[in-house]
Amino acid sequence: MKRFESLAVEGWSPEFGSPVEAKREEIPGEQVDPGVELPESEWRPLPAGERREIPGRVYFVDGVRRIEARVWMSGEDEPRLGICASYAAGMVRCGSRAEIVAAEVRRGFFGQAGVPDLVTRVGTFAACPVAEDDIEQLVNGLQERMGQLEVEVAGGWGARRSRRRSARVGLGSDSNGTNPPLHSGALMLMDGPLRGRQRIPGAIGYVKSHRVQYLGAAPRAVVGQLAPRERTPVFLIQTKWTRYSWYLRLTEAQGHPWAGIVRCEAWPETELEQVRKIADATAVVLPRFASEPHKDDRAPQNLYPIAGLERQLHHRLGDRGVVFRALHQAAAEYRPTG
Amino acid sequence: MSESIPVGRVIGTDPATPLEFWVAVADGAFLQLDDVVVVERLLPGAADPIRIYGMVADLRVRHEGARFDSDVFLIEEGVLPAQVTEAAKVLATRFEPEVFVPPVPGQLVRKAVGKEREEALFFDGMERRMPVGLSRDGEVVHANVEFLDGTRGAHVNISGVSGVATKTSYAVFLLHSLFTSGQLGDGAHNTKALIFNVKGDDLLFLDKRNRHLDGEQAARYAALDLPAQPFGSVELWAPPRPGDPSAAPRTGSRSEGVTSFFWTLSDFCQDELLPFLFADAEDERQQYTIVVHNVTARLRRDARPLDDGGVRVAGTTCRTFGDLIEAIRERVEDPADQPDWAGRSIGGGTINAFVRRLYAARRDAEHLVRGDVPNPDKHRIGMQEQLTVVDIAKLSRRAQRFVVGVVLRKTFQDKEETGAREPLLFVVLDELNKYAPRDGRSPIKEILLDMAERGRSLGVILIGAQQTASEVERRVIANSSLRVAGRLDSAEAGRPEYAFLPTAHRQRATILKPGTMILSQPELPVPLVLEFPFPAWATRPDEAGDAGGGEGETGSGGGDPFEGLGSW
Repeated sequence: MKRFESLAVEGWSPEFGSPVEAKREEIPGEQVDPGVELPESEWRPLPAGERREIPGRVYFVDGVRRIEARVWMSGEDEPRLGICASYAAGMVRCGSRAEIVAAEVRRGFFGQAGVPDLVTRVGTFAACPVAEDDIEQLVNGLQERMGQLEVEVAGGWGARRSRRRSARVGLGSDSNGTNPPLHSGALMLMDGPLRGRQRIPGAIGYVKSHRVQYLGAAPRAVVGQLAPRERTPVFLIQTKWTRYSWYLRLTEAQGHPWAGIVRCEAWPETELEQVRKIADATAVVLPRFASEPHKDDRAPQNLYPIAGLERQLHHRLGDRGVVFRALHQAAAEYRPTG
Repeated sequence: MSESIPVGRVIGTDPATPLEFWVAVADGAFLQLDDVVVVERLLPGAADPIRIYGMVADLRVRHEGARFDSDVFLIEEGVLPAQVTEAAKVLATRFEPEVFVPPVPGQLVRKAVGKEREEALFFDGMERRMPVGLSRDGEVVHANVEFLDGTRGAHVNISGVSGVATKTSYAVFLLHSLFTSGQLGDGAHNTKALIFNVKGDDLLFLDKRNRHLDGEQAARYAALDLPAQPFGSVELWAPPRPGDPSAAPRTGSRSEGVTSFFWTLSDFCQDELLPFLFADAEDERQQYTIVVHNVTARLRRDARPLDDGGVRVAGTTCRTFGDLIEAIRERVEDPADQPDWAGRSIGGGTINAFVRRLYAARRDAEHLVRGDVPNPDKHRIGMQEQLTVVDIAKLSRRAQRFVVGVVLRKTFQDKEETGAREPLLFVVLDELNKYAPRDGRSPIKEILLDMAERGRSLGVILIGAQQTASEVERRVIANSSLRVAGRLDSAEAGRPEYAFLPTAHRQRATILKPGTMILSQPELPVPLVLEFPFPAWATRPDEAGDAGGGEGETGSGGGDPFEGLGSW
């Protein structure tokens, strides 16, 4: 009979699942190129600590969403399902202080073409047509809108700043020679993978959980060997879309080798040298923001600034009961226009 | 109305009640304790909004977005986003017009200044008001004179720890304000005050300019619209030096302008002063008190006055207190005279108890009751000047009680005889707990009670002070319209006698600095914290400049003007 040497409790609270899936989706080997920074045979943990240049500011962008109600739309045909949802996106700037510099709340009515605007006393749920009205598509539509709002918040804020002074959003975006790129630059992290997002130059995707097996056995072993403030070499993923990626460790491994591991993504347009610098910067900076288990249910991967931002955004969505009652009332009073 | 500054909004996370609500302070604004604010609410169907006035009683600042104590480090390191929020607890003082509704969350709160502040603190309705101090933000705090002069109320009671509470200083400041603010009307210059100096020489220089009064403090008098000058009309009385046949005053650092006071033996007999030598003379449980009263009555009837205050008692000529008590002893111990002097069927033990106490009083009283000094009328406390200071600091406890009791009774009786409330007489007495203790009875306590209960109609106003109000007769304090607390001991501050202070004020009373008092007056539902200026009169020989009147120069004391008060 097989014998187990040790046991470890997963750090994440069970309702969030596990950061590492037991059975991970495998990616065909040819879609991942582990050799862009170091040849696969030379893969080893790269200590980032050698580089002392760290970004002066780190931006975190995140969004939250909440389905307020499912709404049935009846007419001549069969009733159709829609959802009313609130979503919000915001950005935290971490410099000498962590500040929420942007936060936007939207409310949407997701359904098939013809879905109306729904005016309630807590605000208007704007019509958001989606192609199909099965619940999965509706939720995808919501997710997409939230992603757009995240980009809007991050980009909009960057644009406002760039009008005032040189754009600093994005690592090394002011590499005009007057400032050393990493030191004075800023790092922008979007919570979640970059997939499906509009491009913000320099933005990095921050992935907390690992559901896909990107690396082969040998490079994968390197991930387990990482110490805090170390990262793997950068590799290139070329599935439906292309991006650079690397793993890094936030805190000491507790329990199992993949505990405290996160993955980052960068747009492929970025020069490799730049990506390396960004990757080093993330390995240096992110452990500082890693959360403690007693303070966060998804510690350490759920970073403090993101958790704080999410709390604030959830708060700004308003009281769930109030919104629900407002929707009830609005639906009862609804009259088609035109 | 538009001159007042918006400072925040009523919050909705804590319920607002008509009497108490919280205000979130806006960025870039601040509120401090005791600030006066106003918030308006428009009621349905009303044309004008009602104004709700209040005073800041507490403030809190916290991190919004933090859930754990250690989050503060993350926030300071720039890791966790959070917002600092500040909120002020406001106790409502007034509703204008009087509709008792709470303010609505979200309402704009303004700092009340000028007319609005006057309205908030009911100063607008005070026809005759006198300045009683400055608020923390430098505004004048008034008290309604009608609650002081007997029109609607009378008496002041001041509590506070000895040394740091500056009780006596504040009492004297109140007198200064009463005399010089012009609010007593025509009677002001006939108004008199009697002060007992119970500790040190503090009150023996009230007629001298304070050389340590600097320009800043003088400016505070100007802000109060009071002259920064010492008392103009003062008489100083001190007990005679023990053993001195000429009865020269026993003074400390002040020597000139002090007259010695004593009572003649004939006063002692005629005015029935004997019971004042016995603290518990009214206690019925004590057998010997019967003897005291019998002897007192006998002395009044039998003592024949001689010149210069001596008496002839039952054939014995008495010139000194010693002579008198010797004569009394002989009479009460003589079996023939005993029934007449001591009373019928009085046991030998009771007589002995009386005689023992009488002799015990001899050392304390023999220089205060005598018939051996020419022109004794010069030594009778006459209260000719506006302010009479009687120094009892160097007397024994028994002698202090005797002097206070006798002087108070005399002044009260005189007032009773005139039957008129005007001119007013203010009596300042510290250590009320000694003279009107909560438990037991004594002749002085009876007088003080009488004064507290009837003084208002007779124009005798008691400004009493004590360390601990809990040890003073309840009725004396209950009759005081103005209650003042200086620094309080924290155990004392929790007692029911200070229920007039809201919780926040009670806590503050334990940390008040010298020169800061909390004043409660009948019209205001909330007590006011105020500061009063450094005395313009000297309280120590080294402060004493020339006498008041002229515009003498003021020195620059510098530093904390109340420094050194701890050594009182």
